[in-house]
Amino acid sequence: MRKFSIVAATALVAAAGLVLSGCAAGGSGGSDDKAEIRVWLNGTDTPKEAREYLTTTFEKQHPGSTLKIEEQSWTGLVDKLTTALSGSDSPDVVEVGNTQSPAFTTVGAFMDLSSKKKELGGDDLLPGFVEAGSADGKLYAAPYYSGARLVFYRKDMFAAAGLEAPKTLDEYVADGEKLASANAGVSGIYAPGKDWYNALPYIWENGGEIATEKGGKWTSSFSSADSVKGIEQLQQVYEKASTAPKDGDETNPQVPFCANQVAQLSAPSWVKGSILAPADSDTPGCPDLESNLGVFALPGKSGGAAHVFAGGSNIAVSNKSKHKELAYDALKIMLSDDYQTILGKNGLVPAKKSLASTLGTDDVAKAIAEAAANSKLTPASPKWADVESSNLLQDFFSAVAQGGDVKSLATELDKKIDAILNK
Amino acid sequence: MSLASKAPVAAPPALTPAGRRRRGHVGLPLALLVPSTVVLAVVIGWPLIQLVIQSFQQYGRAQVFGAPAPFIGFQNYANVLSDPKFWNVLGRSVLFCVVCVVITIVLGTLVALLMQRLNKGFRTLLSIGLLLAWAMPPLSATFVWGWVFDTQYGVANYLLTQVTGTNWMGHSWLISAVGFFFVAGVIVVWGAIPFIAFTVYAGLTQVPDEVLEAAQLDGAGALARFRLIVLPYLRSIFLVLIVLSTIWDLRVFAQIQALQAIGGSIAETSTIGVYIYQTSLANGEYGTGGAIAVILVLILMAVSFVYIRQSLKEDEA
Repeated sequence: MRKFSIVAATALVAAAGLVLSGCAAGGSGGSDDKAEIRVWLNGTDTPKEAREYLTTTFEKQHPGSTLKIEEQSWTGLVDKLTTALSGSDSPDVVEVGNTQSPAFTTVGAFMDLSSKKKELGGDDLLPGFVEAGSADGKLYAAPYYSGARLVFYRKDMFAAAGLEAPKTLDEYVADGEKLASANAGVSGIYAPGKDWYNALPYIWENGGEIATEKGGKWTSSFSSADSVKGIEQLQQVYEKASTAPKDGDETNPQVPFCANQVAQLSAPSWVKGSILAPADSDTPGCPDLESNLGVFALPGKSGGAAHVFAGGSNIAVSNKSKHKELAYDALKIMLSDDYQTILGKNGLVPAKKSLASTLGTDDVAKAIAEAAANSKLTPASPKWADVESSNLLQDFFSAVAQGGDVKSLATELDKKIDAILNK
Repeated sequence: MSLASKAPVAAPPALTPAGRRRRGHVGLPLALLVPSTVVLAVVIGWPLIQLVIQSFQQYGRAQVFGAPAPFIGFQNYANVLSDPKFWNVLGRSVLFCVVCVVITIVLGTLVALLMQRLNKGFRTLLSIGLLLAWAMPPLSATFVWGWVFDTQYGVANYLLTQVTGTNWMGHSWLISAVGFFFVAGVIVVWGAIPFIAFTVYAGLTQVPDEVLEAAQLDGAGALARFRLIVLPYLRSIFLVLIVLSTIWDLRVFAQIQALQAIGGSIAETSTIGVYIYQTSLANGEYGTGGAIAVILVLILMAVSFVYIRQSLKEDEA
């Protein structure tokens, strides 16, 4: 036993020595002419074509250097970025959700891009996203893309039920119930309980708000009369129109859609690409549904497009990056007209207003234009990211989906959100 | 640890007439201890000190990125201990831990007894199966079990539908806290049984056959033999296994965290390890999270104390 411990101690020291020297070797490549740049992209949102364009263009511009894309999952991203960006092994360029961005821009995690704003697109950049990426009047995270939420639907199920695209939110919900009862096991409206993004329009369209600011103090208002009315309408959707798991989230909606279990799916515009992905790809879709796939912008309470959540991303250079110049060059490529055009063609709203036409003129493009015109953002508080990462919203809507009392759940939620926003 | 406890024994005073020689004897073990102590101090000691310091500071996301962190005394501890959520989480963790440890030890022992009675071929087969389960990283295991219990496409729901004739498809296993901890318990116990089984099996080979045989001749049944002979022989092994399992199950993290991403209510299913992670990293309250972590360290140290005292006793014996 004793001998063993001594041997083990020696081995440990040797191992530690190896690890430490490994670190040193990794960190010593500090010169900016030849390096590996690590880019963190989230989910499958950025299409493959754009990734390839980024890698090849960067490596052509910087012979000897390489660019590696590391895909992160959206779930738990704030936690992961906090750890990674503050460590010595920080990625160089990171994508961050627009509503998460203030958590990092306000604490100095990103490199200041103010002096480069003009070069990146200046006033052509999407203003809402410039705001999301700025703090104290300085730009830290550039807009990357925006995505509108649209409703994808099955033309065959609509035809069988004698339906057409709904004109109001109430019609949409009624259609959902009709489709669910006409097709056993099918979601008339696919509404997993933890998908809070798609829950917001019900609140906004019924006149409610998430949270409002007055004199520096935030008031969460899920329990206001209007919000409750909206959440109760959503509860009706959960109970009568959806067969989605009450504790499921919004990831991979193409799976039930391709399994013929969904009639209407409210999802970001780029989900079209996931649904129609080749059957032999890493995340297979069902390309044979193409002619059967319809799309419209979610209708509002009194007609027109509804207020939907304006999701999207910002992109930034880590302050801890060892190769800031190279990292910035990579970021510049991602905001170039060529790269942003690829995003546009794939259903993502480009970061530059002048490139809006790259979305094309098909049904999806038209629906995006309608939805984007009326989309809304989450409360503009740097603490909002903490509300998101605390999972309060997921738990709340999941409880609503299970038939909980909306008013009392919402009152409880407001108390918790108030505490976070006014911390 | 065993080296530290044995070091004084290495220099029996009666055999060392000259003080100089004695110092040489003590010096070598001490010198040999230095490397592992240094490694432990760097890898475990330093982060632990930082954690303790952090738990007395106001430490948020801004401090992570370099803002100064003011000291606020015991404020974080006061906040934690007066928060009913913390006590809920702690109570839940302890309960889950106790249930898992009991089931793990009982099933693990049964598997060990089974191994003793199997012929060589089947025993090898069983050992390989156990080793594979033991080698599976908890995260991968959780995802596989998550698929088994999937709401829409899970094989558990499918089989239950086939066997019972009622429709289980769409049944969510994770949506209630009880269901969630059932699945989490299955994953934790499944992953922990191999270690218990192998250790107890090794211990069983130390129980002298002649004593068992004599007891059998005296008319002791299988249960009586296990209770009166095997158990006393393996007492210290069981004690160590229970202490180690308690420590592992109390700070369980990966399984719960991954399962929460699959389904269930996060507020109702967090155990202490996950709660620390959520407080620190997700909510950005590193000071508060640090205080909870220090409290957990104290609890685990209390549990380990039993373990260390036992191993010291064995050394003396």
